This record gives sequence, C-alpha cells and structure tokens, in this order.
Amino acid sequence: MMTEEQTIKRAFDNVPGSGAAYNLIDFIAGWSRKYSIWPIHFVTGCCSPEFMQVSGSRYDMERLGVLPFASVRQCDCIMVVGVVSRKMALRVKYLYDQMGDPKYVVAVGACPTGKGPFRDSYAVVAVDDYVPVDIYIPGCPPRPEAIIYGMMLLQEKIKKERRIGVKD
Amino acid sequence: MREPMIKPDVMRISWGPQHPMSGQTRILLDVDGERVHRIIADLGFTHRGIEKILENRTFFSGIIPVDRMAMVDTANMSIGYVTAIEKAAGIEVPERAKWIRTLVCEMSRINSHLYAFGLQAESTGYFPAVFLWTTVDREILLDLFEELTGARWSFNFFFPGGVHQDLPDGFREKVLKAVKYLRGRFKDYWGAMVENPLFENRCNGVAILEPKDALRLGATGPVLRGSGIDIDMRRDEPYDAYGDVEWEVITEDACDVMARTKVRFHEIGQALNIMEQIAQKIPDGPVKGRVNAFMRVPEGECISRVEAGRGELGFHLFTNGTGNPYRVKINSPTLRNMYVFERLAELNEVFIADIPVIINSIDPWYLDADR
Amino acid sequence: MSKISAADFVKAFQKAHPKAVKSIESTDPRRANLVVNNESFLDAAKSLRDNFGFLMPVSGGAIDYPDDNRIQMIYYLMHPSSRFMLTYRVDLNRDDPNMPSLTPVWEAMSFHEREAHEMFGIEFEDHPNMIPLLLPPEWKGGHPLLKDFKGEGKQ
Repeated sequence: MMTEEQTIKRAFDNVPGSGAAYNLIDFIAGWSRKYSIWPIHFVTGCCSPEFMQVSGSRYDMERLGVLPFASVRQCDCIMVVGVVSRKMALRVKYLYDQMGDPKYVVAVGACPTGKGPFRDSYAVVAVDDYVPVDIYIPGCPPRPEAIIYGMMLLQEKIKKERRIGVKD
Repeated sequence: MREPMIKPDVMRISWGPQHPMSGQTRILLDVDGERVHRIIADLGFTHRGIEKILENRTFFSGIIPVDRMAMVDTANMSIGYVTAIEKAAGIEVPERAKWIRTLVCEMSRINSHLYAFGLQAESTGYFPAVFLWTTVDREILLDLFEELTGARWSFNFFFPGGVHQDLPDGFREKVLKAVKYLRGRFKDYWGAMVENPLFENRCNGVAILEPKDALRLGATGPVLRGSGIDIDMRRDEPYDAYGDVEWEVITEDACDVMARTKVRFHEIGQALNIMEQIAQKIPDGPVKGRVNAFMRVPEGECISRVEAGRGELGFHLFTNGTGNPYRVKINSPTLRNMYVFERLAELNEVFIADIPVIINSIDPWYLDADR
Repeated sequence: MSKISAADFVKAFQKAHPKAVKSIESTDPRRANLVVNNESFLDAAKSLRDNFGFLMPVSGGAIDYPDDNRIQMIYYLMHPSSRFMLTYRVDLNRDDPNMPSLTPVWEAMSFHEREAHEMFGIEFEDHPNMIPLLLPPEWKGGHPLLKDFKGEGKQ
C-alpha cells in the first residue's frame, strides 16, 4: 500500500531540485511527529508507579507532547513499562500489530530489556523476542529524568529519519 | 483460557489488559442489558515465578525480588520476609532499628493509600484533578525515601538484623514538616471526595459486603475492616514498634464502597500520628545487628504475618540448614480480595457503570496476586 | 463466638477426633499445626468449620519433598475471635497426588487449589472450576514448583 510520501516520490523523481524538496518534506514530517508521540496507555509490570509519577505534576511528560491515549489505532508508540510475562508478551505483540505506521517501541526498565532481577525465572521474557525495540531505558525503576531523556532520544531518532529523501 | 460457558442471552465483555482503568489483568463481565450477572477474573498477566526464584537466592539477595512484589507499598512487602527470616534464625533486632522500620512502613502505607485514592477519584470521574494531587503528595514522601535510603521506590532497606543506615541529620525535622503538610492536604481530600455529594451519590450503598460474607469469602485489609470486623495484624501479631506507639484500628459499619474509602482515609490519619510520635520519641542506639550476609538458617519452618496496605501478607518459610530457603509460600492479600470481587455480582445488584468504582474500592495490585 | 487458645484447641481436637490425627502441636500461642490422614480429611475439615469455629479461610499451598516421595498440601485457616492461625496439612503420594477438594467447606479455597494444581500437579476431586490461574493456557512446560522442574518450560 503506497503512502502519500511514496506517491510524491514517484511523480517528482525526475524534476531537478527534488532531492532538496524531499528532505524538506521529511524535515517537516519529522518535526510534527516528534513533538506529538502518543503512547498506548499500557503498563505491564511494576515500573508503573514511576510511569505515573512521570505523567504527574512534577516531572510532566505532556510538555514533550507525550499523551497516553486509549485507542490503539490512533497511537504511534508502545511503551513497554515493566516486567513482561509470557501471557502479557502475546498481548504486546497483538497491540504492536494493530498500530499503524510509523510506530516505535520503547522498553522502559531493566526487565523488558533483559529480564532484570528476575533473570532466572521461567515466566519472564525479554520483549526483544516479540517486537523490535527502538529505545532501551535501563533502571529498576528508571528515574523520571531517565524516562524523559529516553523520550528525547526517541525524538532525536524520529528527527533523523529519512523516509523519502536522500540519506546523508 | 477455557472459560465457563455463558448463558444464551447474555453478552460477555472482555475488559482487558490494555485499558486505562483495568490495570494488568483481564476481567470478563457477563452482562444482560445494564446488569452484570457474573464476573470472572483472569489473573496471571504479571506472573514472575517469585516463589521459585527465591529458592535459588541467598536470604539477603532474596529481598530484592520480594520488594518488587508491590512497588507502591514496598516496605511492607519486605518487612514480612525479613521478619520470617529473623524468627527462623533467632536474630535480635536493636530497638532503634525497629522504630526506623515502623517509620518507613507507615510512610509506605500512606503511599499505597494515596495511590488508591487517585484511582478511585479517576474512576468516579475526577480525572485528572485529584489524581494529580496524589502524584504531588507522593513526591513529598518519595523525597524523604530518597534521602534516607538512596532510592525512590524499591529500596531494599531492611535486612535480617536491622536496617542499612541510620537517619541522616535533620531528617526528623523533615518528617515533622511533611506530617504537617499532609495533614493540611487531608482536609482537601476529605472535602473533595467524602463530603462531596457527587461522590456520595456514586458510592453510598454500592457493593455491600455483609460481615458474615466477608469472613466466609476471605476478605482482608480495608475490605474486611469496612464491614465492621476489626482484624489488623499490627495489633494481633505485633511486630517492630507497633506496641510502643499509640494508634487505633479503624473500622466502619456501612459495608459499602464509601465505608472502605473512609477506612483508608482514617488509616492515613493514624499513620501520620505514628510518624509524628516516632520522629519525636525515637530511642538512641545501634541500627545494625551482627549478621553474616551468607547466613545459614537451621532446619525448620516459620510463618510471619504483617499488615500491608492492601491486607494481610503472610510468608511461610521452610529452611533446611543451607544458605537458600527450601520453599517460600507467599499468602497474598490481593488474591483473597479478588475472590470477594468475583462474588460481589451475586450478592448485590451491580450495574456495569459501577464496576470501576467497585474494583478500585477493593484496591487490587495484581503484581502481588500473581507473584 | 467464644475464644479458645491454641493449646486448648489442640487438646480438644485430639479428644474429638483421635483416629484422624496424624500429628498435632502448638509451638507458639498464635500458631497450631495439624496433619490428618487422607481418609478423614474432608470430615475433619467440616468439623473444624462447624464445631471449632474456623470460619476464615486464608490461603492454601503445597510443598514438595522428593526424598520422602510425598507432596504435602497445606491450608491456612484463621480463628476470627482467637486470632491464631492453623495450618491444616495432608500428605499425598508424589507419583499420584489426588485428594478431595475443600471448596464445599470453604469456597474461597478455589483460587488456591487452582494454583496448587498447575504448580504441583495435584488433582482435586469435585472442584467447581479447575482452569489455569497464573500460567498461560498454552503452557506445556510441566509443573514449575516441583523440585525436578528443569529450566524454562517450552510453549
């Protein structure tokens, strides 16, 4: 299924100066995407109180444009916050499949990264085996400043994406 | 899940793990029009196998997974395990350490009850005002934890034989200042929630749990005390300094959602009184006993029961003379209360709009039901 | 409801059911331990609830002793007015552990028996709703809390 960016590319490939135009479109699209990352309101484990404090009044995550939203189809990020057990990992995969492109995954905490303090448990999995992860935020639980820094790194990554233009 | 069959004219709604109000569980509701006939709870989404991994850890490093069983209430989780090890090994704890432990446990209890209020207010429609008030008030307590222990949430501060560090300079004055601030906020919460006619409309007379049903179905914590039965492990099996400070067990007789909310309110008031008494009268002395980090405990078994924010938490510890426990059985409060939640649809007439209010009055934290 | 101390309860139960008891003791004023034979397990439970006043079910779990070839199932009960805790135990054969369910007596034991079934493999007769509680429904890895459970289960 062609996105609107790909249709633009097909039409204007031979026009001189199209490379700069593609980069400008990418820049504007990246700017608007990075300042409105909407994650799914989905916490899987014990890092959830820290996630709530980050959305709270002192470390306000909404000033970065991050608003947890309820409907899966309208979100573009899934923040896997906390321990992922086997039963929950299937749900993470279902939700990841339901989101539309472009989509990102942020693994918050030591447990989704590599099982954390439950490293020898039969029931805990690393979320890498189920969905591709973009940003890892270590900590048990990570400090609110670390979570905000992780979201800012995601913003940097989105800014550098080149979907139709020339990679520099 | 191979669930029980449903009747032909009801609809089964799956209120699943991805929902703003459901927490980390799936709850199935059999609904006929507006009335809920049956509630089935599908637990196990946060099962980590803590009972099995504790068999592979030493006694000291086993406190780390136990802390993470309920991170809003972490001191009360680890005090249970530490008390069981001390009873099994016959270790004495210095007086000052017992008072510090009680102080940290009561601060954790306030933390846990504020979380319950935030969710209760969010489910009755006050999002986001009272919920954001609770995040600010929890920050006061988290700053105190960070100054004392070094971490905000799961601090592993207790070990069998004492606590890791003494109180820093000026900490007692900070505790008294925090108590004074939180008492002022208590009036705000009382006015916004309990004396508010909108809140009363949604909570009075909803989900009544009679005392004999509460005993028969195994309720615990504020759910049991909201039905008039005064069972509280801090008084019935005193541990640490609860015998040395003055406080009361809170019960209410109305048996509905409002009664359980009022029990949590008054328990915060009692916790603030205890914190004030400890900050004023704590005795001097050492805080660490002499204990070997790779200790071996002689063969035997021992049960310890403590009162967490959600109810009675029990640890049954079996030891066999080596450095690891043989088996640890954890009796979780939320697992008992989830059975009560399932039966509430049969005891009362429950409508589907009442379900978030009811479940937040039970105050579940699924991570300690699933362990 | 009248209060009864743990030591008096031990004597009264021993007198009322002499043949059912395998061992009974009270090491602490707030604890009592009781092991019964398999045949009289359900009747002794009914007598505990009706005659001795143990109305509050607390929890239930099991422990595996591979050296003795037995699994011991433990039920935790509380006396509401005397506030002491009784551990009510029965020994089962490790190769074929099955026993009557206690949900007709204390219905709150339903969740704990489901967990004991999936963690240890104990079969409970007459349980109303034996489906997995904590493990995923497609789990094929065996019973995790047995002592010879090897590593991670395979799905």
